[in-house]
Amino acid sequence: MAREVSESCIDSLLTEMVSSYCNRFDANKPELAGRRIEAIGYQVGHQLAERYTMERPRFSDHLEAIKFICKDFWSEVFKKQIDNLKTNHRGTFVLQDNKFRWLARMSVDPSIENVDLSQDTSALAENKATQAMGMHLYFPCGIIRGALSNLGIPCAVSADISNLPACSFVVRIKA
Amino acid sequence: MDPGTTPLGKMLLEEITPVVMVLRTPLVEEACLKNDLSFIQMLSPFCTFSNIDVPVRTSSDQPYRLQKFKLRLFYESDIRQPNLEVAKERLKQVITQAGEKDNSELCSDPPPIGSESEILPSWFEFFNKELVRTVSFSDHEAFDHPVACLLVVSSKDEQPINRFVDLFNTNKLPSLLNDGAMDPKILKHYLLVHDNQDRSSEKATKLLTEMKNTFGTNDCHMLCINSSQDGQIEHQDSLWAPCKSVASPNQHLGCLLNIDDLNEIKDLMQELSSKHIIPYMEQKVRALNQQVSATRKGFRNQIKNLWWRKGKEDTPDSPSGLMYTFSSIESQIRVLGDYAFMLRDYELALSNYRLISTDYKLDKAWKRYAGVQEMMGLAYFMLDQSRKEAEYCMENAFNTYLKIGSSGQQNATRCGLWWIEMLKTRDQYKEAATVYFRICSEESLHSAVMLEQASYCYLLSQPRMLHKYGFHLVLSGDRYKKCDQIKHAIRTYRSAISVYKGTTWSYIKDHVYFHIGQWYAFLGMYDVAFTHLLEVLTCSHQSKTTQELFLREFLQIVQRTGKTFEALKLQLPVINISSLKVVFEDHRTYASPAVASVRESLWRSLEEDMIPSLSTARTNWLELQSKLLPKKYKESNICVAGEAIKVDIEFENPLKIPISISSVSLICELSELDEMTSDTSHSATELWNDEHKLLGDMSSDASLFTLSEVDFTLGGDETKLVQLTVTPKVEGSLRIVGIRWKLSGSVVGYYSLESNLGKRKTAKGRRKPKHSPGNDLKFVVIKSLPKLEGFIHSLPEKAYAGDLRHLVLELRNQSEFSVKNLKMKISHPRFLNIGDHEDLNLEIPDCLEKKTNVEQTDVPADSKKVSHGVFLFPEDISIEGERPLLWPLWLRAAVPGTISLYIVIYYEMGDASSVMRYRTLRMHYNLQVLPSLDVSFTISPCPSKLQEFLVRMDVVNKTSSESFQVNQLSSVGWQWEISLLQAVDAIFPSQSLIAGQALSCFFMLKSLRKSSRTEEKISSLSRSPGSDVRLAPEGNKDALFDICCSPLADFHDCERLQQHELSNQEDTNTVDFILISRPLKSDINPGTSDAPRLFSHHACHCSTASASPISWVVAGPRTKCHDFSVSFCEINLRMIIYNASDAVASVGINTHDSPGGNVQLSDGNTVASGNQAGWHSLSPVDDIKINSDVLGSNVGKSQSPESVSPFIWSGTSSTRVQLEPMSSTEIPLQICVFSPGTYDLSNYVLNWNLLHVNNEENVGKTKQTSGTSPGYPYYLTVLPSD
Amino acid sequence: MIACVAVIGHQNNPLYIQSFTEADDALKLHHIVHCSLDVVEERVNNPKKSGPTLNETFLGLLYPTENYKVYGYLTNTKVKFILVTTDLDVRDADVRNFFRRFHAAYVDAVSNPFHVPGKKITSKTFAERVSNIVKSFGLSSAG
Repeated sequence: MAREVSESCIDSLLTEMVSSYCNRFDANKPELAGRRIEAIGYQVGHQLAERYTMERPRFSDHLEAIKFICKDFWSEVFKKQIDNLKTNHRGTFVLQDNKFRWLARMSVDPSIENVDLSQDTSALAENKATQAMGMHLYFPCGIIRGALSNLGIPCAVSADISNLPACSFVVRIKA
Repeated sequence: MDPGTTPLGKMLLEEITPVVMVLRTPLVEEACLKNDLSFIQMLSPFCTFSNIDVPVRTSSDQPYRLQKFKLRLFYESDIRQPNLEVAKERLKQVITQAGEKDNSELCSDPPPIGSESEILPSWFEFFNKELVRTVSFSDHEAFDHPVACLLVVSSKDEQPINRFVDLFNTNKLPSLLNDGAMDPKILKHYLLVHDNQDRSSEKATKLLTEMKNTFGTNDCHMLCINSSQDGQIEHQDSLWAPCKSVASPNQHLGCLLNIDDLNEIKDLMQELSSKHIIPYMEQKVRALNQQVSATRKGFRNQIKNLWWRKGKEDTPDSPSGLMYTFSSIESQIRVLGDYAFMLRDYELALSNYRLISTDYKLDKAWKRYAGVQEMMGLAYFMLDQSRKEAEYCMENAFNTYLKIGSSGQQNATRCGLWWIEMLKTRDQYKEAATVYFRICSEESLHSAVMLEQASYCYLLSQPRMLHKYGFHLVLSGDRYKKCDQIKHAIRTYRSAISVYKGTTWSYIKDHVYFHIGQWYAFLGMYDVAFTHLLEVLTCSHQSKTTQELFLREFLQIVQRTGKTFEALKLQLPVINISSLKVVFEDHRTYASPAVASVRESLWRSLEEDMIPSLSTARTNWLELQSKLLPKKYKESNICVAGEAIKVDIEFENPLKIPISISSVSLICELSELDEMTSDTSHSATELWNDEHKLLGDMSSDASLFTLSEVDFTLGGDETKLVQLTVTPKVEGSLRIVGIRWKLSGSVVGYYSLESNLGKRKTAKGRRKPKHSPGNDLKFVVIKSLPKLEGFIHSLPEKAYAGDLRHLVLELRNQSEFSVKNLKMKISHPRFLNIGDHEDLNLEIPDCLEKKTNVEQTDVPADSKKVSHGVFLFPEDISIEGERPLLWPLWLRAAVPGTISLYIVIYYEMGDASSVMRYRTLRMHYNLQVLPSLDVSFTISPCPSKLQEFLVRMDVVNKTSSESFQVNQLSSVGWQWEISLLQAVDAIFPSQSLIAGQALSCFFMLKSLRKSSRTEEKISSLSRSPGSDVRLAPEGNKDALFDICCSPLADFHDCERLQQHELSNQEDTNTVDFILISRPLKSDINPGTSDAPRLFSHHACHCSTASASPISWVVAGPRTKCHDFSVSFCEINLRMIIYNASDAVASVGINTHDSPGGNVQLSDGNTVASGNQAGWHSLSPVDDIKINSDVLGSNVGKSQSPESVSPFIWSGTSSTRVQLEPMSSTEIPLQICVFSPGTYDLSNYVLNWNLLHVNNEENVGKTKQTSGTSPGYPYYLTVLPSD
Repeated sequence: MIACVAVIGHQNNPLYIQSFTEADDALKLHHIVHCSLDVVEERVNNPKKSGPTLNETFLGLLYPTENYKVYGYLTNTKVKFILVTTDLDVRDADVRNFFRRFHAAYVDAVSNPFHVPGKKITSKTFAERVSNIVKSFGLSSAG
């Protein structure tokens, strides 16, 4: 039943997807590319939620669903659980993964690395890197959103990579 | 909450009240009927007392006061179990009446869910009451048994006393009294009714006293009625409202009863109930209570009772329970209970009911047991305590009734109804619904009503259970239908729609809609039926048979109405709006419909240098005439009166069955320009409102425009693309509003294009905001203009490459106005070329044949006014009327492949007054070109002679069947002259090339120019008589063709341009060849051999230059005699070097003496074999052979390795010279030979490089700018002279 | 014998209804399934009555009609599975087992990237799988 996929394949697939959306289909419209990728993630999450909740009783409240995402769902997808879950009890949850797999193997464009590290270039490199990372984070965000919304929790998901390699996803549940 | 105020409570307070049996003489009735009232009806309003303030003391000692009270009066004849059939009839009536009543809202739309209160039909209550009444006067319960008996005699009766007596004689009395179910000793009251209209009342009073003497004073009363003489008394309607019969509503009841009559009646009843009945009841209650407590209360009695019951264990249990006479203790307890109940002493009632219920249970007297349980439940309810108990009792009773089978059915129903009411008062609607469901008997009408009520319970339950609501509605609808209560059926189904509407439960939805439709049709309300059946038509999910059924039913209904229906949202067939394509001709006209499908941009690119000021194709001419038309038409399309607008749209049949569609046409409206303002404000929705008006004046519109009508049938799941046209006849503004069609000849469907286009726009977000979709359908019609129609005669579908044909373009102009200033442009001049008007009726190939007196006479191409590709017809040409313009065209299938030729013809209107200045005619043809002869040339310079080249022609016949006869090969340009190397017959043994045959042959090409000047060459290149070689066999008599006359030359220029693009050869000394061939005359059947055709194959820019631009020859003696005894032999040679490039070249010759010239030879061979292979195989080697044969020994000798170098280069071992472009120079060389023999002087090397003066044109050229080439073999034979 | 199985979307829209009876009582079965939705909602809204354990996906017997038994199953994603069976003594284990396999089939069906969520399930393989599950209903009560 449980089918397995080579992790490297997934990694390269993601990279390829992101690059082809950012550089080919919707080049120079990053926000559109982002939305497209997020939509793909949404569908994936939607279907995964269907599958991973098969053998379990229904969730009585939002927290349970979120916990499910943190524990079982995450370990199904990333072979590890979310390391830290915070919430203000007003429908916002912060899921932190201290070593987010899909960023672990990301490297910043060497051409930027090589330039002499005067301030502005390094800064430029910095935000270029974060931008690239951001692109790669639309997909997991979409997955989370898809899973939750399939569980009947409409929400908005955003990611925060202020302290790499940790990555935290912010889930805002639409009241 | 006071149970008395609940619906159930009210019901009980009405239904479970003391019964008074009324016995009266006919005269009494008679007297009352003067008021259209029976006696009881007359009294009934006064039998209910809202507060008859009577103290009651039952079991307990302290009395309580009774406020509400009611008497139920019945004639003795009515006091018996009503028989079932009658009851059923009655119920049926009730339902039918109800059905009639709400006929009005039958057509209105069903109310949305949420307004429960109003959709709950009012007649349920009434119906339920009737249902309850069907089981009254059962002997197993006492509250229907008469408490008292009222004997009424009219004062007109003779000897009324006796009448009183024999009124109450037993044989007329109801069975209840006779068969001992109740006590025959019953409270009697004697009433004398006096009609004041007959006589004064003293006789009556006398009678009364008489009565009092006989029957006792306080049991006798007198009632005087009809006191009013004129009989115009009006009463408030509420009084006898229930008695009003639907038959004659305006009869006014009690017309003769004046106020004191009423008062009298009131007092009478008041007294009767308060002074007699109630006291009688309470004392009876007390008596019974004592008796019961005496016999049954207390431990001893219980034991005795049980023991006694055991005693009669073996008695057969008879559910009818006749074993209990009124005297039996059980009956009396029951009576006690019921009386107590009626006197509202519910505790007492309850206790007694409890008492006997156990007894009945032990006796297995199930019906009575059930009855008692029922009453217990009610008592609990009225006490408003322990709901569980109450419900338990009701359920228990209910089940018990059901258990005893058919006889208990009615009671079960009643019990169920009460139970339901009980549940409802406690908001347990869901449970109530289930009870309703259980009440349902197999008898369908009854269950229909019950199911409907159940459905409403589901609706009212919290939370709502809409699904079940719908389901039960449908169920009850079916039941209704089963017993032809169609209106009810429709009502239920319609409320069910509100559940299923908008869901995807299509099967259920279809079922509901379909049946409603059917039933409406059954009622003859065809319009509504129609609308409902419309919903079902597009049921692609249904099975084929179902679809057929639906469609058939639908059409039947339509036929039954007789008229043709008009449906605004007829979904059959489905119109695929995205497939909409509007083709119209403004200034752009199309030769054939297919042309319109060509990309607009392509036309624009063709037209742009023909049309004046092509700013935007649509409105350019409007700018010129903006005064003629208001600004706002700029964005709306233009069409010309009398020219059709074509609309292509797709019809799709969603069903699996074929449907026939007829008279499909557009809906258009054409308004004069001035009222355009009002019309543009039309929105589609408004338009559909006045749809019928629009159709009304469709006929009148026929004068304004004509519509095409299409009929077709769509097979199952088929889609068809249909073209509809509208042809405006007058100027104005035309709008294509929608599409109308007839479904199988009877139903007219409309489809609003505009609104749907709008929808489509909103649906897929991104569209050009500037021009709304509706505008595609708005047209400004301008007055009719001349329009050119054109086509090309005898343009072949397919042709072999190189095929040269003469075509004729025909242009017609139907209108009488003329057009002028024609221009024409052709997309592929390489394929299609414009001839001169004079060679209109030329014949290929004759026109091309070289006349004897040629060269100067042929017309130069400049006579045609071709300005960058646009051909201007002569100004004098103008086309009008019926006279067509014919113009010659030349076709040459240049290269294999499929080519689409686009031709645009621009023309201007004869009269400047017309709104449009010019129009363009667009033509489009596809031509498939098959490969025929494939000709390629290889040219190599001849080493022996400068300015001479060897041409190798390779011809392959690529066709599958055709065989060709090569006719002539011509080189273009005066500076070349081509000649044969061999006899023609040697080249073409078979005189023709059959399919697939390849052949290569050699020609000699001589350059006629001395070191020529570039510029003159360029000038003369254009039109210069080339030289021709006849390749046709000698026998053949047909002449050579002139490659310089118009079509060939023109095409050749095109080819030059074309092939120039392909091979960007800048270098100047290139030669063009034209091979002219013709298909072999099919001698098998000469009859069919069509007009002689001609093929011309052009090979341009064949470079004469070899790989290196430097060519040279070594000249000198070939054999020399020398006497070696004297000295070694010196031989002078000349090397002529020619620089074929267009740059200055510096050439260096390096000689080197090396042993073994043979090595050099072999080297020279291999190196040289690059591009001079063709050469070596020819002449000089043969000589060598000869020589070497002669002097084999010497060669052998010279090859001996140990021999020293047999000759040396004397003189300069290295020379360098500068060479002007296209010039040659001469260098002396000298060798010294030491011994006789044959020597190969090829052991020198030329290294050259071009010093470019003008680099830029040489960048990217493949041609090398420097190189070294080894020497050619040059054989010198030195003979010893002796 | 199983009369009908159905998949109902979370907006109570039928995603898949298949009846396995010879008689054409499709309409009736549709109605039964449609009605059962009410019961499902009821069960979910007041869980005390619902399946053996709290919030279990298996809702147990929804309601018996005169000649059918209707069982329900509600996934975490608010998709309802309805099973209408004609045989009167059904082992609970069988029904659970049925629903488990049915759910698996459903998940695979909707995981097809070409399946539009919320639209009817038209996949042939799904239909085949379901009919197999239906055929084997009750034969193996184990797991």
